[in-house]
Amino acid sequence: MKRILAQCSKELAQFRRDRLTLALAFILPVMTLFIFGFAIRLEAKNITLIVQDFDHSNLSQSYVERLYATNQFLPVQWSGTDPVRDGIERGLAKAAVIISPEFSRDVKAGKTSVVQVLIDGTDVNNARVIKNSIQAFTNAFIQDQNLLQSPSKILPRIRLWFNPGRQESLYIVPGVFGVILAIYPSLLAALAMSREKEQGTILQIYASSVSAAELLLGKGLAYFIVAIGQTLFVMGLGCAIWQLGFVGDPTPLLIGSLAFLAASVMFGLFIGVRASNRSVAVQGVATVGFLLSLLLSGFIYPLNNIPFPLSLITNLVPARYYIELTRDAFVRGTGWSGVWSAPLLLALLAFLLFSIARKIISRMQLSG
Amino acid sequence: MKLFRRLIESRFWVLSVKEISQILRNKQLIFLLVFPPTIQLLIFGLALNPDVQHLKLGVTDYSNTPMSRELISALTANEVFEVKSVTLDEHALGEQVRRGQITAGLVIPPNFNRLLKSDQPAEVQVLIDAVDANTAGIANGYMSQIINQFGRQFMPNVVPPIQTQATILYNPGLVSSWFIVPGVIGLVLNLGSSLVSTAAVVREKDTGTLEQLLMTPAAAWEIILAKVVPLFVLLLGEVILALSVATFIFQVPFRGNIFLYLFFAGLYACVGIGIGFLLATVCRTQQQAILTSFFINLPLIQLSGAIAPVESMPKFFQIFSLANPLRHFVTISRGVLLKGNGLDVLYPEALALFAFAIVLLTISTNKFRTQLS
Repeated sequence: MKRILAQCSKELAQFRRDRLTLALAFILPVMTLFIFGFAIRLEAKNITLIVQDFDHSNLSQSYVERLYATNQFLPVQWSGTDPVRDGIERGLAKAAVIISPEFSRDVKAGKTSVVQVLIDGTDVNNARVIKNSIQAFTNAFIQDQNLLQSPSKILPRIRLWFNPGRQESLYIVPGVFGVILAIYPSLLAALAMSREKEQGTILQIYASSVSAAELLLGKGLAYFIVAIGQTLFVMGLGCAIWQLGFVGDPTPLLIGSLAFLAASVMFGLFIGVRASNRSVAVQGVATVGFLLSLLLSGFIYPLNNIPFPLSLITNLVPARYYIELTRDAFVRGTGWSGVWSAPLLLALLAFLLFSIARKIISRMQLSG
Repeated sequence: MKLFRRLIESRFWVLSVKEISQILRNKQLIFLLVFPPTIQLLIFGLALNPDVQHLKLGVTDYSNTPMSRELISALTANEVFEVKSVTLDEHALGEQVRRGQITAGLVIPPNFNRLLKSDQPAEVQVLIDAVDANTAGIANGYMSQIINQFGRQFMPNVVPPIQTQATILYNPGLVSSWFIVPGVIGLVLNLGSSLVSTAAVVREKDTGTLEQLLMTPAAAWEIILAKVVPLFVLLLGEVILALSVATFIFQVPFRGNIFLYLFFAGLYACVGIGIGFLLATVCRTQQQAILTSFFINLPLIQLSGAIAPVESMPKFFQIFSLANPLRHFVTISRGVLLKGNGLDVLYPEALALFAFAIVLLTISTNKFRTQLS
C-alpha cells in the first residue's frame, strides 16, 4: 500500500511539472466537448427547397405558403421552367416540390392529385426526414383545408417521452461525456506508462521490488485522480452550457463513473505497456479508443443498427455502458432499476484490463 | 530519351529513389497506409448506420379483435416496427418505454372495434422513447403515417385528395453506407497524408540525417520535391485502395469520372502533405508532432461533414467549416461518386482546395527551407 501511494505521488508530481501534458489534459477535452457538443447534429434545419408551382391556383399557393411556414425549409429561387433536378445536382437545394398544372382541378373533381417531391439522397438520414416531414405536412394540410368529407377514423395520440421537444443536444451531449472520458484519461495514462519504457526507467522498476500490480495501481491511482478532475470539469461545463441536470437518482452515475474512469485509465496503461514508445502509445489510444468509443458505443446512431459480427465487439466497449448511464442520469431518470448492470460490467471490464496489463508486466519482470 | 536521361541523372531522381527505398523499407509506414484505412472504412461504413428499422414495439391490445390485430400487423408490415413485447397492462408498457426496453408502445382501447363499427373515431395511444431525438422523430413520422393510412380504409371517400410521390435521387434505396463511405475516404486520405509526411520529415530531424542531406550539393527545392513526389504517389495508391473497398465491398456507385476523382484526391494529398510538413517544421520531436496532429485532425474531421452532415450544424460552424479543406473534399467525394458531378459543378470546391494546397505548401516549404539553410 505504501509503495502504491509513493508511486502515485511521484506520478502526480511529474504530471504537475509537465506543462504541455497538463494543458492537454484540460484543453483537449474542452475542445472536444465544444466541437462534438455543438457540431454533431443529425437533423438539418433550414433545408433548402425549390418549389415549382405550375398550377398558380389559390389552393396550390396556400400549400406552398404553409409548407414554408413549417420553418423547416428555406426557399431557393428557381426559374419556373428549368428542370429542378439541376438545382439538386449542383447542390443548391436538398429537395424540390413540383405541383402539376392540374393540382386544384383534380382536388375539386374528387381525384387524387399527385405532388412530386425530389429529394437529394446523398445524406441518407436527412433524405428520410425530408420525405417524412413533407408527407406529414401534406396530411396536415388535407385536414386543415377540410378536403376530406370525414376526418380519419383512427386518431393516434402520440406522446414523446423524456424529450418532447426532440432537442438533439439531450441525446448528443451525455454521449460526448462518455467519449471524452473514454479517450483523454487513457491518453494520459498511456503516455505516462510508455514514457517509462521510452526512457528506459521501466527497467529500474522491473529491477526494484515493486510488483506489477503495485506499479499499475500506483500509476492508475494517480491518473484516476486526474480523471476525476477532468470529469468534474467537463461535466460541469457541459451541464452549464446545455442546461442539463440530474433528472433522477444520481448515484448510479456516480458509482458508474468511478468504475468507468478506472476502466479508461486501465485501458491507457494496457496500451502503454504494449507500446514501445510514446508515439505508438498515443496512436494506439487515438485510433483504438476513438474508433471504439465513437463508432461502437451507440453515441451517434442506435446500437441496434450495428450488424452482427461487429455488434459483438460493442459488448467490450466501456463507453457503451457509460453512455447508457449518462443518458439515464441526465435524460431518462430510471435510476438503479433501469441501469443496475452497467456499473457492474464497467467494473468487470476495468478488472479485466488490469489483469491483462499485469500479466504482460510480470512476464517482463521474470525475463528481465 | 534525352529528357529521360537527364531525369535519371538528376539529383532529384537520386533523392527520390532514396526516399522510396526508405519508405518501402519502413514496414510500419506501409502498414500505416494499408491497414488503418481499410479498417476505418469497414467500421465506419458498417457501424455508422442511421437506418430506422426493426424499432422495438410494445403492444397493449385491450381490444384484442381482428381489427386491432390488423392495425398491429400494418405497423410491422414494412419492418419499421417489430413487436417485442405484448402486455395487458398499460403501466407495464409505460415502464418498458421508461427503461428503454422498447422504443415505442401502442395502447389500443377496449372499445376500438366498437367505435370503428359505429363509425366513430377511435383513439389509440402511442408512447415514444425520445431520448434519441433523431430516431424518435422518424418513428413518430412513420407511426402517424401508418395509422392514418390504416384509418382511411374505413372512410367512404377512399381517394385521398393530395398525395406526395417522393423520388429519392442518387441513393433510392437509402443505403446508409453510401453516405458515410465517400466521406470516410476523405478522412482516411487526410490522416494518411498528414501522418506520413510528418513522419518523413521528423524522422530525418530525430536521427540527425537532415544535416547530412544539407551537406549534399542538392538544393533545398530538390530535397523537398524528392520528399513530396514519392509520398504523393503512395497516397494515390491509398486512395485507389480505399475506392476499391468502397466499390467492391460497399457497392458504392461510381457515377463520375475516375480521373477527375484522382485529380481531386491528388489535390487533397497536396493539402495533407502541406499540413504534415507544417506540423513537422513547427514541432521538434515526433511525439509533439503526433500530439499536435491529434489536436488539428480532430476538428478537421468532425467539422468536415464526413460523419454528421454540415447542413445540420449550427450556422457558426457551417461558416467556420468553409475554412476546412476536408469539408470541400468530402463534398467533392460525394459529388463525384454519387451524383456524377463534373468540374462544371465542383469548380468552387476545386478552387478552394487549390488555394489551400498552394498556401499550405508555400508556407511549409518556406519554413522548411529556412530551417535547412
